[in-house]
Amino acid sequence: MSRFVPAVLLFFLIAASAAPSSAKPRDLAHEITSNIICPCSCGEVLSGCTCETGKSMQATVENGVKMGKSKDQIVGALVSQYGEVIRGAPKAEGFNLIVWVAPFAATLAGFAIAFFVLRKWVRRRAALYAAGAPGLEGSEPEARPDGTVPFPTGRSLEGDLDALRRRAEEELGEMRRKR
Amino acid sequence: MSELGRLALLLGFGCSCFAVGSIAWGLRTGLSGPLRSGRRAVWAVCGLALFAVILLERALLARDMSYRYVAEHTSKDLPLHYAFSSLWAGQEGSLLLWLLILSAYGSAFLLAYRKRLDPFYDAVAMVVASVMIFFTALLSFVCSPFRILATPPPDGMGLNPLLQDPGMMIHPPILYTGYVGFIIPFGFAIAVLLLNRSGTRWIEEVRRWTLFCWGFLGVGILLGARWAYIELGWGGYWGWDPVENASLMPWLVGTAFLHSVMIEQRRGMLKTWNIALIVLTFELSIFGTFLTRSGVLTSVHSFAESNIGPWFLGFILLSSTIATALILYRKALLESENRMEAIVSREGSFLFNNVLFVALTFATFLGTTFPVISEAVTGTKISVSAPFFNRVNVPIALALLLLTGAGPVLSWKRATASVLKRNFILPAFMGVLATAVAIPFGASGVYPLVCIFAAAFVTTTIVMEFARGIQARKDLETGALPSQVAHLVQKNKRRYGGYIIHGGMVVLFIGVLGSSVFQKEAHGPLKNGQALAIGPYTLTLRGVTEQQRQNASLTTAILDVSRGGKFVGTQHASKAFYSKAQQPMTEVALHSTPAEDLYMILGGVNEDGSASIQAYINPLVSYVWVGGLIMVFGIFIAASDKMRLRREEKLAP
Repeated sequence: MSRFVPAVLLFFLIAASAAPSSAKPRDLAHEITSNIICPCSCGEVLSGCTCETGKSMQATVENGVKMGKSKDQIVGALVSQYGEVIRGAPKAEGFNLIVWVAPFAATLAGFAIAFFVLRKWVRRRAALYAAGAPGLEGSEPEARPDGTVPFPTGRSLEGDLDALRRRAEEELGEMRRKR
Repeated sequence: MSELGRLALLLGFGCSCFAVGSIAWGLRTGLSGPLRSGRRAVWAVCGLALFAVILLERALLARDMSYRYVAEHTSKDLPLHYAFSSLWAGQEGSLLLWLLILSAYGSAFLLAYRKRLDPFYDAVAMVVASVMIFFTALLSFVCSPFRILATPPPDGMGLNPLLQDPGMMIHPPILYTGYVGFIIPFGFAIAVLLLNRSGTRWIEEVRRWTLFCWGFLGVGILLGARWAYIELGWGGYWGWDPVENASLMPWLVGTAFLHSVMIEQRRGMLKTWNIALIVLTFELSIFGTFLTRSGVLTSVHSFAESNIGPWFLGFILLSSTIATALILYRKALLESENRMEAIVSREGSFLFNNVLFVALTFATFLGTTFPVISEAVTGTKISVSAPFFNRVNVPIALALLLLTGAGPVLSWKRATASVLKRNFILPAFMGVLATAVAIPFGASGVYPLVCIFAAAFVTTTIVMEFARGIQARKDLETGALPSQVAHLVQKNKRRYGGYIIHGGMVVLFIGVLGSSVFQKEAHGPLKNGQALAIGPYTLTLRGVTEQQRQNASLTTAILDVSRGGKFVGTQHASKAFYSKAQQPMTEVALHSTPAEDLYMILGGVNEDGSASIQAYINPLVSYVWVGGLIMVFGIFIAASDKMRLRREEKLAP
């Protein structure tokens, strides 16, 4: 175990060495331009855009910041000029609220469903166990102390049936082909 | 010659139809003759597609301007290797390449299972052939690559300058190999439903095919990111562009499947869910083509837009309807006695992992398509771009990263309190330690800190897993550490291959974190001899040169780069102007070190003779590529495992 540590430390050291040279908060102009899409056909985020439209918009933002305008004022002026389409992310209001809420709602709903399904399965097993159903996954061995799980020693009834069915089908297929 | 090409595609359409009909007949009657003929027809389509590709390549390389496709995508001054790769620069050529890969998959599949007499494999080939019908029909009747111009122009329109990059020569074929490959898992799923097959053997086979195309898709995505980084010149590699998202979605669902399939193999559970994931992966890979080709959404990658969108949409609707109907029809087959010992277990963590993967796919899907939906409903054009995905997808992705660490240390069936304590204390401690160390270095914000915690947590769990494995085998192994690790991996390739993939993912996440959160930028006009400072670097302009290339004129700023006062090299940042396309292209100058990239762009030359230079420091960007390579290595190891299959075969009576 101890022999792994140097490798992992080296890995994080490189990562850490890169951080201090550049860990400086970006300015307001960058915060604004990284949330705006260039309205010309290039469709890039303004902060990285090198087209002519993009450059002039970047200049507008920088001038606005120099004049002491707020973020909302600068963005508002640009939106009234070019339309809502330049916002990199739609405002969370009205119909567009859906796109903000739905992913998280879906994740939470998914978690809830997964939780209830799992609980149902756990209860089902517990009920079967209480009823003394024989051979309940007895074929599957418990994990070893080192966390690995050995291969099943026995095979389930379903597995046996499968193997038989498969063999029967293969032999039938062979017969048909020979015919 | 063009008639030959058309004929080949038309014959391909005929053969595909014949293959489907013949195999269907064979399956119905149990006769082996029609099955054999069907198999041969699949081979024939592959040969015909290859023939058509050769014909089109011949025209492209000869710049035969009487072909519309050649005139639209090449020019006489285009270098030969780009003339070759312009096969996939346009719509018709891409579809032809798609057909070739599809039919090659069908043939490779039949080759791999040529000794299996089970008609099940013929049914899979039938599914592949029915998708071939769609593509050969499109290429024959809707958008033929062999259309001829009545009056050939003296020269072609040239290749899109963005595609004149070595990366573009390999990125699309590799990406397609990933995309198209999901046809085989899809074929398996449909065949299982059609023939009412039970058992888990096909699951083992499907896992390998999925791993194969999933790996190719991942490499394709990374190559695309690398291409964007070098060629688009905005300082980044992933912009949550619709086409990028389109390639990410099948990859995410495929990843979910590769995890949940383990539960089906071990416990025979989640059958319906797994089939649904396979179907979804396939549909999303077709949807990706639809997005790239339909022009519904604007994207930096949609180089070929046309009217074939409705065809793809129709195909997606039809195939998903058939698949859904089959799943419902075979409900009984997919029923399983689901039982579980505990919620806190490996199985449980896989279920939550699946929820997160599917949620991430859903968020990406919704964000990508929402501009169209919103405009239809509200009438206002909006954008859903990187700023949205960074806020919505990043937290879900971070939750997944955390689960990457938690899942493997939970034992199967039931994780007891003592196991939890033993497995979690050290990783959690390392996570907290890494976060605490990172804060004085300037890390701030919830997401970056969670990412640092998760990266350290996951890395520790992976190292612990390896260490524990070696510890358990210490009586058997006495060699040096590397050989012990090699033997351990050899012993259970799937398990440790998986851990290596997780390790690569962590490295990739660190790269993404470093290059996005800690990116630094400086820009300004520079006259000869003037310098621009960025972080520890100083860029001094040494001059601007003009140069004529084969099909472009090149303006280059020559920059001397020094770090901390020490000269590290001369870099050339260029702007290429392609006469045919009448558009300027950025050629980035890159000074790469393991810790950071210095990324320099020439914005243009101003009237006063000064050069507009934009420079970025992208810390840890190399971790993104290295992480990808580690993942590929892990995939190789995991896919090379045959142990489980052999064992099952031995056990079969």
